[in-house]
Amino acid sequence: MPTAILASGLNASGPETAVFWILAPIAVIFALGMVFSRHTVHAALMLGGVMLILAVFYAAQDAPFLAFVQVIVYTGAVMMLFLFVLMLVGVDTKDSLVETLRGQRFAGVVAAIGFLLLLFTGIVNAGIHGSKGLHAVNFADDQPARGVENAGGNVYQIAKLLFDRYVFAFEATSALLITAALGAMVLAHRQRHTPKLTQRELMQQRFKFGTHPAPLPGPGVYARHNAVDTPALLPDGSPSPLSVSLSVELVSQKHGRAPRPAELGSSAAAHHPASGKGQSE
Amino acid sequence: MSPAIAHVAAALLPGAADPTTSFPTPHLDYRALLPMLIVGGVATLGVLVEAFVPRGKRGITQTVLALGGLVAAMVAVVSNTSIRNITAEGAISVDGPTLFIQGTVIAVSIGALLLIADRALASDADFAAQAADVPGSAAEQASVRAGFVHTEVFPLAMFAVAGMLLFPAANDLITMFVGLEVLSLPLYLLAGMARRRRLLSQEAALKYFLLGAFSSAFFVYGMALVYGYAGSVKFADIATALSSSTHGDPLIIVGLALLGIALIFKLSGAPFHWWTPDVYQGAPTPITAFMAAGTKIAAFGALMRVLFVAFGGLSWDWRPIIWGVAIVTMVVGAVIGVTQTDVKRLLAYSSIAHAGFLLTAVGGITVGTADSESSVLFYLVAYGFMTIGAFAIVMLVRDADGEANHLSRWVGLGRRSPLIAGIFAFFLLAFAGLPPTSGLWAKVAVFKAAYEGGAAPLVIVGMLASAVTAYYYVRIIVLMFFQEPAVDGPTVLAPTVFTSAAVVIGVAATLVLGIVPQPLLDLAGKAVPFLR
Repeated sequence: MPTAILASGLNASGPETAVFWILAPIAVIFALGMVFSRHTVHAALMLGGVMLILAVFYAAQDAPFLAFVQVIVYTGAVMMLFLFVLMLVGVDTKDSLVETLRGQRFAGVVAAIGFLLLLFTGIVNAGIHGSKGLHAVNFADDQPARGVENAGGNVYQIAKLLFDRYVFAFEATSALLITAALGAMVLAHRQRHTPKLTQRELMQQRFKFGTHPAPLPGPGVYARHNAVDTPALLPDGSPSPLSVSLSVELVSQKHGRAPRPAELGSSAAAHHPASGKGQSE
Repeated sequence: MSPAIAHVAAALLPGAADPTTSFPTPHLDYRALLPMLIVGGVATLGVLVEAFVPRGKRGITQTVLALGGLVAAMVAVVSNTSIRNITAEGAISVDGPTLFIQGTVIAVSIGALLLIADRALASDADFAAQAADVPGSAAEQASVRAGFVHTEVFPLAMFAVAGMLLFPAANDLITMFVGLEVLSLPLYLLAGMARRRRLLSQEAALKYFLLGAFSSAFFVYGMALVYGYAGSVKFADIATALSSSTHGDPLIIVGLALLGIALIFKLSGAPFHWWTPDVYQGAPTPITAFMAAGTKIAAFGALMRVLFVAFGGLSWDWRPIIWGVAIVTMVVGAVIGVTQTDVKRLLAYSSIAHAGFLLTAVGGITVGTADSESSVLFYLVAYGFMTIGAFAIVMLVRDADGEANHLSRWVGLGRRSPLIAGIFAFFLLAFAGLPPTSGLWAKVAVFKAAYEGGAAPLVIVGMLASAVTAYYYVRIIVLMFFQEPAVDGPTVLAPTVFTSAAVVIGVAATLVLGIVPQPLLDLAGKAVPFLR
């Protein structure tokens, strides 16, 4: 029903109506898909689709600036940020659907209904009272004293607001951006305390102090114990402590796994030099 | 679709544009804007100094640059005193109160910058060696040993000063909002950069940031509602819209309430004062001095401009609210201040109480009478200088863990270092409003303005609150001078040239204004009224 009001109130042209009726159902399908999709990446991509279709609508309604901003800022930047965060958190992470705040779901439903009512009243209101019309808004002559012909559409009008009326606020915002960049550096950038060792220096150190210049042996992989916490066997059949990193050993102990299967031989204890253990870290 | 494409083409190809279209050149009175341009430019230069000047020379370069910039901006303000001009296409109002407040902010910032320069570059600095290090980690100790210093605090502080100059000068809500953010964002950062008790400092910064973000959101929401009522965010247009309607519209009342919440938050008035003690305590002390003085001055300038210039027609609606806020603020600052045991928290509650005293004059002002606006301006000058001086003394009383802020550590300080304790006692007397300090005349001026404006109840509450605050100030004086010092008491750091200069500026201003207040009162009288 709102679309009918829109169509009647705004004198849409034929091609515009066609574009609307082709793309609007797709947008609604995408939006529903976003809400009901189980997979977060799918939901994010659906949202991107909705945003792109909205951009087309804006362009069709003589708002080219809004259309470009929609594509560049929302679809281009915000959506990509969403995806980055999803990838960082892990695409397979599942949200727990347990209600942590009491009555949250109920309050959410009430707020949603209220919002829909508000939206509906706004649209109906616009439909009943009639609107000022696109032309009047885009080609408003708000400064007749200057004698300037305010033609040029809404790109021009926005430019005029930004670079004329609010030019000082626009310029002052740059101070905000510089502060943000500087603040991010101050809070997140770490200066190294010592110069970074080159590969050559690392190699020299290994030979000078290390008792094991070659790469450490890999962990044992057996049919029954295919895991990094199972030590490799030396030629004499005893397990090599160098082959398992100490931190891996600690983690698997925490999870209740015996790192060294008992059947690997009782001679294991004999091959536990303290120095070798320290080096395997 | 085809008209859209035509417009896109017009936007992208200048040749295809309508030949009658010409872009108007915005009119900017660069001379009137000069103080803001200088401070903003110096802040930006400071960022370049971080990038290009070798590490060892950055500290001195930044100090000279920032102090030079502030002095130049002060000269610009003084040379502009005759300007009464609304410029930048109506966005900036350079009138008497603006110039007065800008001059005060710059003078106070010079004092604060001396403290920052001292404590940022000293070997036992108050700023974190490297703010990105995890508190208590080995990396943090390594950074301290390596002697890292964050010279970025200078450009950040200068950006905050630029915001403080813009905030009270803004003549529409959007410019005011940008000014509010430019002044707040660097302070959120700086509050979290203390070297000692870093978790406390980071907590303070996070609290300040989150609550500040909320208050900004209130401001934006209020701005939207006011726009819905008046169809404009310009103060003059809002005043016109109010004068042409006889009934109070809920839209404008709620809008003003939301704007008021954000402004009262910034000047730490109750009930939006909760951040003040925590942030004052957690932030590095030079930054506490800076924001206690500068933010309050700028916020009062902005509050007065919003209330008097834009919402003067609604004064019957906002005056009772300001009365209530003033009373609650004074009572909270006075009563809760009594229970404090930390000197920085105590000064925070003192600053809340002072916000209340200032609000009595705002609530008592009859819109249109210029005399009483000037009392607020005078109070801001007096308050700014004594705040800088008092926090400078707090920085000097130290023990092995940095500053000794607990009041039990201050016992008997007067016996050990009579001069420092004496100066602190002088500032406390000024806070209490006793002669021979500027605090006396400041209080007399605001209470007189409130009384003449018909706010006699506020004056009575103000007197009582002053008596309560005097109790806790005098208690510190008794504690410093009339009790035996502890054996392992804190040492008083020998003040460096920078800190001495800040203290001397504070003492001199407080004493001179206490003995001859009339010239500054006259100047404040000449500065008002606001340009409408």
